[in-house]
Amino acid sequence: MTGMAASPGRLIRRVAVYVGAAVVMVVMAFPLYGIILTSTQTERDIRSTDVAFVPTYITTEHYSQIFSNTSGVPVAESMVNSLAVAVTTAVVTVAIAVPAAYALNRMRVPGRRLILGGFAAIYVLPTLLFVMPLFITVVQLGLYDTYIGLVLPYVAFTLPFMVWIMGSFVRAIPVSVEEMAVIDGAGLAQLILRIVLPLLRPGIFAGLLLGFVLAWIEFLTPLLFTSNLSMMTVTLGLFRSTMDIEIGQLAAATVMTALPVILITAFFQRNITEVITAGVER
Amino acid sequence: MTGEVRAEETIRTGSRRGRRAAIALVAPAVLIVAGVYAYPAITTVAYSLSAIDLSPRFRIVRFVGLDNFINQLGSGAFWEATWTTLYFGLMLCLVTVVLSFAIALLLNKTFLGRGLVRVTVLLPWAVPPVASGVLWVQMFHAEFGFLNGLIRAFGGEGDIIWLGGQGIALHSVLIAEVWRWIPFATIFLLAGLQIVPRTVKEAAAIDGAGSWRTLRHITLPLMLPVVIPVVIFLFVWAMKVFDTIFVLTRGGPSRATTTLNFLVYRQGFEQFDFGSAAATAYLLSALTVLAIAGLGWMLARARRLAGA
Repeated sequence: MTGMAASPGRLIRRVAVYVGAAVVMVVMAFPLYGIILTSTQTERDIRSTDVAFVPTYITTEHYSQIFSNTSGVPVAESMVNSLAVAVTTAVVTVAIAVPAAYALNRMRVPGRRLILGGFAAIYVLPTLLFVMPLFITVVQLGLYDTYIGLVLPYVAFTLPFMVWIMGSFVRAIPVSVEEMAVIDGAGLAQLILRIVLPLLRPGIFAGLLLGFVLAWIEFLTPLLFTSNLSMMTVTLGLFRSTMDIEIGQLAAATVMTALPVILITAFFQRNITEVITAGVER
Repeated sequence: MTGEVRAEETIRTGSRRGRRAAIALVAPAVLIVAGVYAYPAITTVAYSLSAIDLSPRFRIVRFVGLDNFINQLGSGAFWEATWTTLYFGLMLCLVTVVLSFAIALLLNKTFLGRGLVRVTVLLPWAVPPVASGVLWVQMFHAEFGFLNGLIRAFGGEGDIIWLGGQGIALHSVLIAEVWRWIPFATIFLLAGLQIVPRTVKEAAAIDGAGSWRTLRHITLPLMLPVVIPVVIFLFVWAMKVFDTIFVLTRGGPSRATTTLNFLVYRQGFEQFDFGSAAATAYLLSALTVLAIAGLGWMLARARRLAGA
């Protein structure tokens, strides 16, 4: 009896769930759909007040234009710059963060709580507070408009977060495995190189991706620490360009800037969800 | 036996060798962070107490005591930015949490295509802030933007000047930022929902509680300890919003979207008044810390209530 009485209500509820899901999908995806659509339409149609939401054709002219030399936006060059800076940042940050995370979680470090607390507190303060003296220092050291002038702040801005993330991977290694190695006569160096690093491989991979993404999307640092077009990064390229004149090219450049990050996120969405879930459970 | 003693020495105890090795491992990270954060943070204190010349080259002209702070606290622009910041922060938290909670409740149900919806909800997070700014400029464009186009398609006027109106510009920035933060908040809240024990809800259902009452009296109170950390994260991020404002409005029209963080940028890198910018940056930090302290106190209370 209860089953029969419940079935119309259940049907309504099922329909409501699917309607809700459809609304969420459309609203969240619409802006992304909009920019992709814009990037594949001619400039004349983009500038029409008669907005076409479903395309009748697709053109790749804006993409070929932004990668050609005649473009006002050196997209290819800025992608190479961002790639170089982001890869360097990722490697350097992970290389410094892993030993620190290991020591902070598995060894007695004097001032451990102070260090971890300080690392967390940094993110509460506005970045510009640190950037002003850095700007002066970078100019005085002649690092303005150089790769090092970008990599150094990137590494520092990413490092505290990276130590924290790597720490969660270090804690996941069973202590017994390490103790076994020590019983077998391994010194600290051997312990880290032979046992800990191989076990940390998934964490290191995640850390490299994270470091890459954070450097790739950074905007404030290149905005303030570079001015030369040949040093331009992708995010800056979206800004300093002829973009106001060519909306289609701007849209195409935006898609190209977002693409690597979107691919990484889509590919690792399950892992990202797991990291956040682990955070909630603690 | 000797092996175990060594194990104690190398991994756990504060023996001198282990301690030195630990310091060596941590040192590079600590030194870099100290150099790039602690040193500038202290230097910025000095800036905030000084009159500074930037041209022809950087030079601290003289010590001015608390003048920079007093000037800020006496300026209309500062208070205007403070109210803008607080309003923006609270609205961002409120709207994001309410929408994300609804989406999380939806994703907590099993239905066909749930995985696809989850990926779609996650996607805005993967859009670099600047790219998201550009994308919303396109959405908000007064003449051929998608939002006005959509309004016209449904028979409206569709002539809203999203980014140029005094009152509406801040709300446009808000929409763009809410869209960007829904992914994080939704996943976080969804994780929380999955922790609320199913048995508790089933017990409530057996006791005759409808789904609304279960939500209101069981799920919401149990979720409070998860909601508050989300609010803290969102609030801190709202205090630091820069990229979106820079791309969408540059703090305008006039000062309508100038939050305190953006005011720091304007004072420091548009007016090159590092003294005022440093003072404003520290006032913003104080505001953020106060807000977090308040939220942290609420979190402690919520945890106690949920535990009791």
